[in-house]
This record gives sequence, C-alpha cells and structure tokens, in this order.
Amino acid sequence: MTPQLSWYLAVSAALFTIGVTGVIIKRNVIGMFMCIELMLNAVNLTFVAFASFFQDTTGQLFVFIVMTVAAAEAAVGLGIIIAIFRNRETLDVDEASILKL
Amino acid sequence: MLALLFILFAGLAVGCAIGVVAQRNPLYSAISLIGVFISLACLYVMLAAPFIAAVQVIVYAGAIMVLVVFVIMLLNVEEERRQRTHLGFLVPAAVILAAILIAEVSFIVASVERSPSTPTTNISDVGLSASIGSQLFTAYLLPFEITSILLLMAIVGAMTLARRIKEVPSGTRVIPGGQVLALNVVEPGIPLGNTTPVETRSTSEAAELLGLPDEHDPLKRD
Repeated sequence: MTPQLSWYLAVSAALFTIGVTGVIIKRNVIGMFMCIELMLNAVNLTFVAFASFFQDTTGQLFVFIVMTVAAAEAAVGLGIIIAIFRNRETLDVDEASILKL
Repeated sequence: MLALLFILFAGLAVGCAIGVVAQRNPLYSAISLIGVFISLACLYVMLAAPFIAAVQVIVYAGAIMVLVVFVIMLLNVEEERRQRTHLGFLVPAAVILAAILIAEVSFIVASVERSPSTPTTNISDVGLSASIGSQLFTAYLLPFEITSILLLMAIVGAMTLARRIKEVPSGTRVIPGGQVLALNVVEPGIPLGNTTPVETRSTSEAAELLGLPDEHDPLKRD
C-alpha cells in the first residue's frame, strides 16, 4: 500500500494546527517565531505533495519561493527580536505592550 | 514498505512539532524544530522531490536554524514561566473554533480521498533540479525577480533594525526604548558646551536619570 495524497495532506494539516496552537499559547517571541516556521513548512509539504501527485513542477517552484520568504522573515524577525530585547530586556510578548491603548 | 516509511517520518514530524510547542526551554524547541525539518526532507524524498529535500536541509535546518540558535544563545533566554490564565470565555470559544477547523480539514481530506489520484512514479523528472531550474528561469521569471527584491529589502531592513543610533541632539526627550542622553541634560551642573552622550539601555533608566516619573515601566502599570 503506497501513501495516498490525503495522507500527506493530513500530516500537513496536523503540522499547521500545531503551529497555530504554538503561536497562540507561546509567550516567548522566539517560540512564536519557530511556530511560524512550522506553519510555513506545513504549507510547503502540501505544495510538494500536490506537485508530486499531479506531476507538475509549479508546486516545487513555489516551495522554493516560500523558503526564500522564510529566510527573509528569519533575518528581519530576529532583528526585531534583538531590538525588543535591547529595549525591554525581556522576550515576553505580554511585556511589549506599549502600543496597546 | 513505503507506507511504513511514511508512518515513520510523519510520526517523527508530528512528534517533533508537538515537542516544539511543549518545550519550555527555547533551545530544546529549536532542536525539535530541526527534527521536524529533517523528517519533512525525508517526506520530500519519498515524494520524488530530491532537490527540494536538499534545499530544505541546507536552507532550513542549516541557515535559518543556525540563525535562531545563535540568537537564543546571544540573548540567553530564560525558560518560560508557568502562565496564568486570564482568558475567561475565550477558552470555550477557542474549543468551538478548533472543532470547526478540524471538521473543515477532515472534509477536505475526505473529498481528496474520493478523487482519483495517480501515485508517484520515481521515473518522472518533476523533482529534478534541471526541470525546476528551466521553469524558474523561463515561465516563472517574474516571481524569481520579485524574490530577489524581497531579499534586498530583508537585508536593508535587518541592517536598519540592528543599527545603534549614536548621536542625538541635546534636546533629547524620553522616548520608549534605548536612547542617548546628552550629559548636560542628565547633570545640570555641567556647562552647556559639554554634550558627551550618556547611554541608557531602557526607558525606565533614562527616566530615572532625568528624574521623571516612568510611565512606560511595565512593572508599575495597571
């Protein structure tokens, strides 16, 4: 029995849900950042699964572009995290509430 | 055989993903996340996408995670405290919304299950780097160029964020965050010509130096 397309989609959905849960329940900025990476990877798995089952290269191309976006996000996001830490001396998102009305 | 491998790698990916969320130490979370990336690379190989698998290991498990681990080590992040719950009615609302999301996902998976699908054959050239490269530089040239602009923006943005502002005019006021105060602002006895900057690392420290009430101290609010 070979793995079906729906199996891969189920794994991808599970990973995405775990990532969303992590973004919601984590209080550490770095933890939230890593959960966002998890969600991006879940979407990548969907792209590759569809590309492979429909015999189309386009999905894998967009995985490539998503990876580039993730790299850019990592650079800017970690820069923001370091700026927050430099100013607030904490990584707790509840402490960085200066924009809250 | 393929099903066994799928179950192995998918279970590894989901288990490591749960580890990412469940660990309180950010470094352990990062190592679990590397486990997720490696097992996803194995799934990509099973899907006949060797190029994407290699890029996954090199870019994600290599470059991005090195950056994350570097920042964790640099900032010396402490473990998360056990969090207090002040959510109230949001907890049942979250449970209902999660149930709706799971129902939608299972509907999609079930409808995909019903549609005919051709299993992957390893002799196709879909996942090879030659076909990806030729598509990338012909049909999808515009997304490729947009990606390069995006990377340039990321470089400029990261440098702007990481830069420390060294000189500030003498009329400095208290702004949130790290700031530089002129010495004659901090100590009134010093003549006006001497404006050697005194660096403070936070708003509360600057407010203390200036003798002002600190409105932005998170510990003293509410």
